[in-house]
Amino acid sequence: MSMTLEAYKELEAVVGERNISNKPWVLAGNRARTPEYPFEYHSPDAIILPGCTEEVQEIVRICNRHRICFVVTVSGASVDAYANRGDTVLIDLRRMNRIVEINEEDRYAVIEPGVRHVQLYPELRKKGFTYVTAAVGPGGSVLANYTSTSGDNHNQHGASRANRYLLGVEMVTPEGEILRTGSLQTGSGWFCPDGPGPGLRGLIKGFFGSHGQMGIITRAAIALNPCKGPREIRTEGHSPHQHIYLDSECSKVRVFNYKSLDDVREAMLRIGEAEIGSTVMKFFYLTLAVMMTDSANEFHKLWPRIRRELPMPLVVHLATESPEEMAYEEGILNDIVEETGGVRIAPDLENWWNEHMDFFMVVSVLQRTLRLGGGWMPIKLGADSVSHIVEVGKSISEFIYDYTDTGKIFDAPENFQIVPMEYGHFAHIELLFMYDRTDPNSGKNVAEFRKTSRYTDLKHHYHAETLGCLNETTELLGPLYCNYHLWMRALKNAFDPENLANPILKE
Amino acid sequence: MEKLSNYKYTMDQCNHCGQCKWIHPSGMHGWDYSEICPIFHEYGFDACSGQGLINIAKEIMNGTLQYGDGLEKMIYSCTACGACDINCKSVRDMEVLDCILALREDCAVNGTLPEAITERKKNIGESHNIYGLPHSDRWNWIPKDCGEDPNSDTVLFLGCAVSYRQRETALAAMKLLRAGGVSFRLLREEEWCCGGILWRNGQTDAAEKVIRRNMDLLHGQGVRTLITACGECFGFFRGAYPKFGAVSFRVRHISEVAAELLEKGKLAFHKLDIDGPVTYHDPCLLGRLSEEYVPWKGTIHSYGLHEPEKVWRRGEYGVYDAPRMLLRSIPGLELREMPRNCENAFCCGAHAKDADQEFALKTAAERRREAKSTGAGCVITACPFCEEALSEPGENALPCVELTRLLADALEGGEE
Repeated sequence: MSMTLEAYKELEAVVGERNISNKPWVLAGNRARTPEYPFEYHSPDAIILPGCTEEVQEIVRICNRHRICFVVTVSGASVDAYANRGDTVLIDLRRMNRIVEINEEDRYAVIEPGVRHVQLYPELRKKGFTYVTAAVGPGGSVLANYTSTSGDNHNQHGASRANRYLLGVEMVTPEGEILRTGSLQTGSGWFCPDGPGPGLRGLIKGFFGSHGQMGIITRAAIALNPCKGPREIRTEGHSPHQHIYLDSECSKVRVFNYKSLDDVREAMLRIGEAEIGSTVMKFFYLTLAVMMTDSANEFHKLWPRIRRELPMPLVVHLATESPEEMAYEEGILNDIVEETGGVRIAPDLENWWNEHMDFFMVVSVLQRTLRLGGGWMPIKLGADSVSHIVEVGKSISEFIYDYTDTGKIFDAPENFQIVPMEYGHFAHIELLFMYDRTDPNSGKNVAEFRKTSRYTDLKHHYHAETLGCLNETTELLGPLYCNYHLWMRALKNAFDPENLANPILKE
Repeated sequence: MEKLSNYKYTMDQCNHCGQCKWIHPSGMHGWDYSEICPIFHEYGFDACSGQGLINIAKEIMNGTLQYGDGLEKMIYSCTACGACDINCKSVRDMEVLDCILALREDCAVNGTLPEAITERKKNIGESHNIYGLPHSDRWNWIPKDCGEDPNSDTVLFLGCAVSYRQRETALAAMKLLRAGGVSFRLLREEEWCCGGILWRNGQTDAAEKVIRRNMDLLHGQGVRTLITACGECFGFFRGAYPKFGAVSFRVRHISEVAAELLEKGKLAFHKLDIDGPVTYHDPCLLGRLSEEYVPWKGTIHSYGLHEPEKVWRRGEYGVYDAPRMLLRSIPGLELREMPRNCENAFCCGAHAKDADQEFALKTAAERRREAKSTGAGCVITACPFCEEALSEPGENALPCVELTRLLADALEGGEE
C-alpha cells in the first residue's frame, strides 16, 4: 500500500510544495542503494525536506497518524539512509544546515544535521579548533557521525571516537515529542551531556549509534579540541594532485613496518603510555596502495610492492605546538620503535603521508578505496582494549584464507586496521575487504564471509563488532554485550511502539 | 553514440558518497560556497545532482523509470558543468558527466526535449549558428584590414556568440594576435557553429554532421593551429571533437596564446582605469572540462582494471593559469580569488537557460554573490556565454568584463 493523497497533502502543508516530492524520478535519486550491502531496498513513497525542528516534529506526527514509516537521511552514504520497506517517507535533513553556535570559551559547536564536514572543519580551524572527523567524505553529516554511528576516526589515538564528544542533544522522538538532553533540558546551555537534566545519551544512540531508530536528532553540540597547526591549511596543485603544506617542524608522519601484531601491540601501548602522537594506527595495506594512486590501474601496478614491503604498516602522526615538543616526541617515538622491532619504510612511500596527513587523509583521499570496482565492505568495527583487539586481528587468519585463496574476495588478508583511542585506553578494529561485484556469486560470498567473521567472534567471545541499530548482527552478538539487544528492543518498543522510525533492517 | 549501457560500470560503482555535490577539501574555506552542483544547490533533492542523474540513467536503462513529469526539464537544467565529474574523479574511476550526456542522448530520442533546445538544433541546421540569424551576419561585419594572412595555417575561430553578439571580443582577439605578431586567418563564411551545443544536448546525429563537416574543412585546409576566441568552443574542440575522429590540428584558447606572448615579451600591458580589485570566473569548458579527450575502448576487468589503460580527464590540466597570469600582469590590477575557483568553480548557469530561465538567472546570481564576497568590483571571465549570464540583470549585480577585451584595452603601445 502506498501513501494516501491525504497524508501527502498533510506533509506538503508542513514544508510547502517545493520541499516534498513523490515524482518517480525524484524518488529514483534515493532509490538506488549503496551497492555494497546485501540488503533489500524499496522505493520511498515520498521525499521530504524539512527546514526546522518543528517541521520535523509535525512530519513525525503525521507519519504516526497515518502509520507511515520514516527514514532519515542527510548524505545518503550510510546503508541505513534508504527505505527498507514500503510505506516509507524519506526525511532528508539537508536544509537544516546551520552552524548554530561556536562557543570558543566552553569549546563546543552546536550544529544541525545538514552541516557537512567540509563546512564545519574550516570554520572551526579559523578559530583554532578541530574535531574528530570520521572518514565519510567531505559531504558527510557531522551530526550523523556523532549521534548515529560509532564515529571512529583516524585521529582517535590522541582523542577519542566521535560519539564520546557528544554534548547536549535535541531530538524528535519516534512519536513526535521534542526531547532535550543533558544541560540543555534545564536551560543551562549545550555544554554538558549528562546533567543537570536527564543523561540519555545511551538511550538516544544505543551502544554505538541507533541509525535513527530512536528518533530524529535535530541539533547537537559537539566538544572541540584545540588545533595544533595553522588556522588555514595551505594547498597547492589541482585535483587529484593537491598537496597540503603543514609546518614540517611541528607536523611529521612516520611509517614503520612490523613483523608481528604482538610487536604492533607493544608499540601502540608504549606510545599511548608516553602520551605522544596525534595519530597512531596499524593501517590497511591495500587501502594504503589505493590511496597513493590515481586510478585502479595504477593501484594494480603498485600493489605487489606494497604487499611485499609493507604488510603491517604502523602510521604515527606527530603534531606539536613547537619544534622543541616535536623533538621530545620524536625522540621517544624512535626509542619505542627501536625497542619494539619497527623499521621505517622507504622515503618515497612515507613522503606521501606528509603531503596528505590531515583532513584530506581523513575524509577525502580515503574514498579512493571505492575505486576497485565498487565492491567493498568494512566489517567488525568494534572496540575493546588494545590487547583484546589485537587478538581479534590475529583471529582473522583463521577464516580469511578460505576466501582470499579461492578468489571470493580480493587477496589481501592483512587488510585490517587497528586504531587505538585515548592513548591506548581502547582500540578499534576494521576489516575492510574488496570483492568483485561483476561476479554473480559476490552477494552470496560476502554474506557468507560476514557470517563467518561474526561466528569467529562469537566462538572467541570477542567484542569485535559494532552494535548499533537493531539488526541481525545485534541479535546474534547481543549476548556478548550484556544482552544489549534485549535492552535495545525494550527501549525501541517503549519509544516507538509502531516501529515506524527507521524500521529494523532485514539482511 | 553514448549509449547508456556504455556507462553501466559507472552506474554500478556509485555508492552515494556525495563527492559530486561538495567542494573538494583542497578548496574548502568555510560554511558558505561549499556546494559545487548548481541543480543540487537550487533544488535540494538528491535526484538533482550527478549522483541522482546516474541513478536516473540507470533506471531509464533498466526500464524502471520513464520520461515525463518534469524529468526532461531537470535533465536539461543541469548545466553539464562537470563539477560533479571532476570532483568524483578525484577519488573514483567513474564517468559521471559522460553518463549524464548519454542520458541526454537517450532523452533526445525517447523523451520530449524543451522547446528551446529543439529550436537550437533547427537554427544550426538551417543557418549554422545557435541563434537562427542569417549566416552572412557571421562575417559581414569583419573589417577587411583585420590583419589576417590568407596563407596562414593558424585559424582564429570566433564561434557563434562572439560572431553575433560580442564582436568586440573578436576584434580584441585579432588585436592581441596582431600585437604579438601571430599570423592568423579567419574562416569567415566557411565558419559554422562548432556543434558543441548539439553534442552537449544529446543531439548526437546533428552534432556529428556539424563536427565532421568542420573537421573535414579544417583538415582539408591544412590548418595546424586553431585559436578560439570562445571558452566553450575551446572545450568542445578539445573534449568532443576527438570522439568523432582524430584531430590533426592543435587547439588553443586566445588566453593561452596571449599568455605565451606575454612570457616572450611580445605583449605588455598598461594600467587600466579600474577601481578596486577584480575577480576571475573560470568557464567550465576552458577550465576543468578542457582536457583533451583520448578515445578509449576496452574491457573493465575485476577490481577496476581498465585494459588497455585509460587516459582519464580529471580536470587537472585545465586552462587555469594563463588568464590569471595575464590579469596579474596588468599594472595595478589586484586579482582576488573566489572561494570556488579553478576546478571547483561554480558554474554561471548559462546553459540551463534553454530549459529553465529562472533557474539559470538564480545560478548566475549565486555566482555573482560569490564574486562580490571577495570585495571585487568587477568579475572577469573568458567565455562569451559566461559573460552574458553574469551580466544578466538580477540580484548581486556587478560589472562583468570579457578577458580578451580587457587585455586589448590594456595593450601597451597598441593600435587604436
